[in-house]
Amino acid sequence: MTAVMIESGHLGPVEIDDDSVIEFPAGIIGFPDQRRYAIIAAEETGVYSWLQSLDQPDLAFLALVPAPFFPDYAPVIPDEDCRSIGLTDPADAQVLCLVTVGDDVITANLLGPIVLNVRNRKARQVVLTDSSLSTKAPVLEL
Amino acid sequence: MLILSRRLNESIVISDDIVVTVLEVRGDQVRLGIRAPRHVTVHREEVQREIMEANKAAAKAAGRAASGLPKLPRPERSD
Repeated sequence: MTAVMIESGHLGPVEIDDDSVIEFPAGIIGFPDQRRYAIIAAEETGVYSWLQSLDQPDLAFLALVPAPFFPDYAPVIPDEDCRSIGLTDPADAQVLCLVTVGDDVITANLLGPIVLNVRNRKARQVVLTDSSLSTKAPVLEL
Repeated sequence: MLILSRRLNESIVISDDIVVTVLEVRGDQVRLGIRAPRHVTVHREEVQREIMEANKAAAKAAGRAASGLPKLPRPERSD
């Protein structure tokens, strides 16, 4: 295992292990040119993690594991999305939702979850068709 | 852009296996039926745009997220 240091715009100097690197073949929506990210635990419970771009050091997203906050959330990932990251076994899928910290509310994007194939470390932001899901589901009112 | 006129219950066919049918026209609203293979994803355009905007807001607020992290809610432990 090798590690490199990067100077993150938000996190300061961070050591990136090869193991933590994931690839978005299509980028994150709106950021098509940034394909490689590192997943970095943001705190001790494992619920929050950073997606730190390796292509652009000042680009990072905070993400959360949705299950503890949204126990009924069970996104159905379309076949085409699964295929694009080589996902064949649901057990290999890890779902994360991007977090936005606003002035008076912290929200999670449930409509466009990040799906990671833990087996090959490829990930994709999926656009769900369930119109009851929000891009700004409240996690906490400040 | 290809522009076609269609009447109620008329369809267009895209690449052999995608059929888009005008089901209802009411005022300025048009209901479309889309028949396509499972692997074809169909979205309202504004959904894609909404997700892009949410992503940009999330990226822009990353600094605030970094400094506010200690205050973020932690799940209650189930054990």
